[in-house]
Amino acid sequence: MITPSGHKVYAIAAEYPTAAALYDAAKRVRDAGFKRWDVFSPFPIHGMDDAMGLGKSWLSAVVLAGGLSGLTTALILEFGPSWILYPLIVHGKPYDWKTVPAFFPIMFELTILFSAFAAFFAVLIMNGLPRWNHPMFNWDRFTRVTNDGFFLAIEARDPRFDQNETRDLLEQTGGQHITIVHED
Amino acid sequence: MSERAEIPTPEGEFFESTRFAGLSLLLGLGAIVGLVLCLIGGIMSPLQFSYSWLFGFIYFFTLCCGCLFWTIVHHATDAEWSVVVRRQLENIALLLLALAIFAIPILLLRHQLFEWMNIPPGRDSALDSKRQYLNWPFFAFRALLYFVLLGGVALLLRRLSVAQDRDGNPGYTIWMRKVAFAGLPIFGLALTFSAFDWLMGLNYRWFSTMWGPYIFAGAAGSSMSLLVLVITALRSAGYLRGVVTLEHYHIMGKWMFAFCVFWAYIGFSQYMLQWYANIPEETQYYIVRNTESWWPLSLLLVFGRFFGPFAILLLQSIKKEPHRLAMIAGWILLMQALDMYLIVLPSLHGTGVRLSIWDLLCPIAIGCSLAFIYLRLVGRTSLFPVRDPRLIESLRLTN
Repeated sequence: MITPSGHKVYAIAAEYPTAAALYDAAKRVRDAGFKRWDVFSPFPIHGMDDAMGLGKSWLSAVVLAGGLSGLTTALILEFGPSWILYPLIVHGKPYDWKTVPAFFPIMFELTILFSAFAAFFAVLIMNGLPRWNHPMFNWDRFTRVTNDGFFLAIEARDPRFDQNETRDLLEQTGGQHITIVHED
Repeated sequence: MSERAEIPTPEGEFFESTRFAGLSLLLGLGAIVGLVLCLIGGIMSPLQFSYSWLFGFIYFFTLCCGCLFWTIVHHATDAEWSVVVRRQLENIALLLLALAIFAIPILLLRHQLFEWMNIPPGRDSALDSKRQYLNWPFFAFRALLYFVLLGGVALLLRRLSVAQDRDGNPGYTIWMRKVAFAGLPIFGLALTFSAFDWLMGLNYRWFSTMWGPYIFAGAAGSSMSLLVLVITALRSAGYLRGVVTLEHYHIMGKWMFAFCVFWAYIGFSQYMLQWYANIPEETQYYIVRNTESWWPLSLLLVFGRFFGPFAILLLQSIKKEPHRLAMIAGWILLMQALDMYLIVLPSLHGTGVRLSIWDLLCPIAIGCSLAFIYLRLVGRTSLFPVRDPRLIESLRLTN
């Protein structure tokens, strides 16, 4: 789909007067079966996850994997040298597995560090970041999103997307200033 | 925003004590029989009995203190989620006043429990340098002070909260917040120094600067577990059904998880520093508990109090499933008992575990008495603060 100005269509977007109106609209869009769409608001809206039908994020699985690899790294780097490669008595402490209390802090730190890295980079990737610009900013009203604007956008790549029907749906949910947002 | 919350009637929900008269009678009988048996035990074998009683007493003391802590934190942070469960916290915290009576045997049996009371001045220079703190008049005064302060805060917070049930005056919330601000340092100091007096004082040569936080971490985590059990029991009896939701369980589960980790963090910090420094004065505590038949119990504590619950409570689904969460909560309460057992009893049986009938009877006698008083207390007021200004937000909680 191409706009009159010759750009590809990114989404059809609407503005809502309140957070409650946006919340109700999100439930309607969810029930209509759309998958590629998003809502934008100046602040987090409690219960929006359910209203959008987002389900559980798989971020926690990535973080768990990061944490476990951090723990494994610490175990190998600590027990490898001091138990197997260079067994030395330091401070009168044992050098086999019994010295584990001395190693716990590092096991703990590396678990946390790798979890944090995993969380940080997974969040960037899942959100499609970093990027220079977002098509939504091609709509001048959208600048209100950090102030008092509540927006909902259904993307053109959604299989159920149809320019006229989607526009009708947004109109029925009480959306205002419904517009076509184009790609860069 | 959520669709399920219904605003309850301002009359609130009341626990019908008559429905549970049988249970109340059973607990009352258990308390009387248990306390009479304890009296016999105290006369027959005062040494073993004194340690067993201290174990039972300190177990319930930490649980009640923990509930007082959660009440104080609720007000000090102006929390939203805990409004619906706050009345039960207040009820359990008020049991501290009853616990003051159960502290009397500890003061009476002081010569069995605390070695430092039997050593005359001039015999041990390590003790002599601590005499300004470790002396009987100050010890007795402190014990009284702890209960006056902790019990006073618990009583005041519950009084104000119940008064708000009647007229809904938001001024009570402000007052409770002020009491909570004063209560925070009072709670921290009273719990820390009572742990010093009654637990660390069992061996006057040993010391740990982590002792206060260690006891606190166990108290906070296990009292949150107790709250989960109490709320689940009330819900299965048909109360609080439309009030406490899975979202509240999720938060209580998160707190159980958080304090499971915090307990391990503090416990390990205390252990690791003393293990690494390897100074006889400090390691004597752990040598007793990590040798002979105490060793398997110490290992069970490490795995049962931390690794097991940690792995299980990581899962979100467990925290949103009341009956499974209640099972974990019961397990944590059991582990808290083991923790207190491993603190108190090795001071008597340094050569290995020697179970005694009093180890079981003392906690049962104290527990039955407290449960009996709790059942009388819970029916007096609404099961949740019906006119708290934050009630609606709490009912509509979403994580």
